[in-house]
Amino acid sequence: MSSLLDPAFLRRLGRLRLAVRRRFAGSSAGGRRSTRRGSSAEFAEHRPYYAGDDVRRIDWNAYARLEELVLRLFVAEEDLSLYLLIDRSASLGIGTPPKIELAKQVAAALGYVGLSGSERVSVHPFGDALDAPMAPTRGSKRIGALLRYLDAIEPRGDTDLANTVERFLARSPRPGLVAVISDFFDPGGFQRPLDRLLAQKFEPVLFQVLDREELDPTPGTDVELVDSETGQKVDVSLDARAIAAYRARLFAFFAELESYAKKRGLFYGRVDAEHALDDVVVGYLRQGAR
Amino acid sequence: MSLLSPLSLAWLGLLVPLIGLYILRRRREARVVGSTLLWDRAVRDMRAERPWQRLIPYLSLILQALAILLAAFALARPSGIGEVPSGARVVVVVDASASMATRMPGGDTRMDAARGVVIGLADALPAGGTLTLIEAASEPAVLLAPTSDVAEIRHAISQLRVRGAESSLERAVAVGAERVRDAPPGSRIVVITDAASDGEQALAATVPVEVQRVGMDAVNDAIVAVDVRARPSDESPDRAEIFVRVVRHASSPASRWVTASIEGRGVVASRRVELVPNEPESVLMLADLPPDADGRAALVRIELAGDDPAEGQVAAASEDALSLDDLVVAPSPGARRLPVFLVGDAPASVRRVLLADRDVELFQTTLASLAERAASPDRTDLDGVFVYAGETPPSAPQGDSIALAPDGDTLFGVALGAAAENPRIVSWEEDDPRLRFVSFAAVHVASMRPIAGAQARTLVQTDHGALVSSLAHPGGEATLIGFDPDRSDLPDQPGFVILFRNVLERARQRRAEGGIRADRIGEPLRVPAPDGVTVEVRCPDGSTARGLSRGGVAIVDVPALPGVFEANVGRQRLFALRSLLSPSESDPSPRARFVTRAGGTEVEVQEASSPREAWAWLAGLLLVVLVLEATWATRKGAT
Repeated sequence: MSSLLDPAFLRRLGRLRLAVRRRFAGSSAGGRRSTRRGSSAEFAEHRPYYAGDDVRRIDWNAYARLEELVLRLFVAEEDLSLYLLIDRSASLGIGTPPKIELAKQVAAALGYVGLSGSERVSVHPFGDALDAPMAPTRGSKRIGALLRYLDAIEPRGDTDLANTVERFLARSPRPGLVAVISDFFDPGGFQRPLDRLLAQKFEPVLFQVLDREELDPTPGTDVELVDSETGQKVDVSLDARAIAAYRARLFAFFAELESYAKKRGLFYGRVDAEHALDDVVVGYLRQGAR
Repeated sequence: MSLLSPLSLAWLGLLVPLIGLYILRRRREARVVGSTLLWDRAVRDMRAERPWQRLIPYLSLILQALAILLAAFALARPSGIGEVPSGARVVVVVDASASMATRMPGGDTRMDAARGVVIGLADALPAGGTLTLIEAASEPAVLLAPTSDVAEIRHAISQLRVRGAESSLERAVAVGAERVRDAPPGSRIVVITDAASDGEQALAATVPVEVQRVGMDAVNDAIVAVDVRARPSDESPDRAEIFVRVVRHASSPASRWVTASIEGRGVVASRRVELVPNEPESVLMLADLPPDADGRAALVRIELAGDDPAEGQVAAASEDALSLDDLVVAPSPGARRLPVFLVGDAPASVRRVLLADRDVELFQTTLASLAERAASPDRTDLDGVFVYAGETPPSAPQGDSIALAPDGDTLFGVALGAAAENPRIVSWEEDDPRLRFVSFAAVHVASMRPIAGAQARTLVQTDHGALVSSLAHPGGEATLIGFDPDRSDLPDQPGFVILFRNVLERARQRRAEGGIRADRIGEPLRVPAPDGVTVEVRCPDGSTARGLSRGGVAIVDVPALPGVFEANVGRQRLFALRSLLSPSESDPSPRARFVTRAGGTEVEVQEASSPREAWAWLAGLLLVVLVLEATWATRKGAT
């Protein structure tokens, strides 16, 4: 087993499933209610009978009351497509441990739960563009392949979430759950690309990974901060005032992300020194268990 | 370019460390972070919160600082006309001759340019420095005593005027040299002139003398001489010859029109004249110049025009830089009709002489009626010659008069001596115009009253005293004759007629000139007027000049303009004519040579300039650039 998932965490994940707020049409039978009508035991609705319909589905009791032929329709149960969009830009290589490790752990946990629940899981690493994905797969036997794929991801390049989303949509994926795992430090912003996903009937869930130093910079002298992606340099004196100004901006950014997610009914979780990965992931999955 | 304090430029060396502070960077520890996105925003927040921000070596900031330096440098006008050490005195002598009215290509006159140079000198005065301003006309006039008060200096500069006559720079510099005697080092005399005068001028002074020239060579067509003479003919008794001499100061020939006109009648004669550079050309025109209805002489306007005059309108040649000598006003000789008022019972011989003059209009009156007229509130002064026989008023009337055959104790207030029988004439003033061609050698007088008053000037002297005298007064002159011509053999001699003709001719001439002596352009008017009276003069350009009469004459400083000046003295109107410049002043080309003293070294003539103006514009431009740069740098969305 990969170091991405420790046994204790796996035990916590065992009884959980992916939380989804909307229904998606799956590609094959599964355990989730679909937007389609199917053959499950759960009644969905009536509709008028038309010639050629299966006469076994006629609701004769309704006919007795209404003297009209109507069919009983039942909810279909299909699988769910889980897309793991994992940020592998250079900024994820920063931190102790590097933020990319946290991102991989989040992706591994979600992928584990998805595969265990017979969902179709695919991984899409991205930076300023979209890398070759791990093809959609299902079944708990594919967990090993998933972890190996995640292990191989190395941080590099810039971040361009908008371009990533456009290229992702260009692959014409089936609508489903999109887990975006990133630090979201994208100069182009996050709202437009996430809006694009929503518009295309996807449900994004947002996992923000941060390093301790990003959350609470260590005070110091005059330093030259170098952007790991763009190389841009900012001269700053790391005194209390500067750190306070930075944290004000940081928390404003958190609030912006949180507000965005809340308004759209999306999950937003932050994994950092103050929010343990286990708690954030389990907190999300427990929404699906309810 | 010169600087008042060149050593002060050493302070500009501070720019080196200043800019160095901007350019040099402190070594900083580089720290790689995931993203500087939020840090960049935080730093901006901090800058926005502070009323000041850290100096950052932006190139634009350095350029702005340089622009400010340049602007300040420019506004300080470092290129003054000349450097003046602290405490030094500067005497500025400005040429006020007529050629300074020459227009320059920009439209300003040379005098305007001179004013600008003086302003530049005034602005360049250092602490403790003083400026003295001397206007060099025919006589030097100190317009401004040594002062460093800028307001006073500017006021004095505004008083600078073209005076018309040739300037005496030598005397003006001599006056200036007196003002800087024992002056501290660095004191000097600055002469601002157009150098449009002939010959050599010795500018002797104990301090350095600078000559700054304003104006370049220019084209000027000038009327340099005019003479209007009567040439009565059978066709017209008022026929006159108008003689005009014209000179063109230029390098190429040209064709011009000389036009004579009379107010109310328009053009009476016109000639086209081909002018050769620097060669006088004479023009002779014939015209009828009758007097007006009051018997006054017509005033002839002679103008030099560039275009064909039509309907009495003339246009000055566009290239003509000096207009003062393009117009001449001259009295016509046609005003022969002279009113003569006989007051009292005039001797028959006198009446006969006056009646014999066909240009005399004789009026008989009395002292009583004249007194009654004088008492009338709406009276007007009679304009003519008064001939008193017997009794006279206490003072001579305005204008010219003759008093003879006295029977009282005074003549116009001049005391008379006791009657004397058969006086012997011992001498007479042959040079007096009234006695021209008059001889008293064989004249015998039966009796006389010697003219004893000292205020009268004796013309004919007898062994008993003055027989004929002259009494000058502000409004004219009176001829006092202390005997009755009918009781002498003078009427039998030709001199008797000539005497009266001379007196009448002199009166005619005075009337033709308007009562004030004609003179050159710019000469002040000497208006006869009672003491204490303010004489107001209306100038040809519509402006008004005033002067207070002292000693019977008001000297009124009038602008240097050709034309008719109208002086009002009480109810009396007098006219004065101002025409013509000296031939030297009509030549606007700079040609004078200046030396330190007679036979001394030549003074270098510098081209006067006003770089101050250019620097002011440059400074303004720099400030505009600065504003634009700042606007650009602070525009919305600028990083």
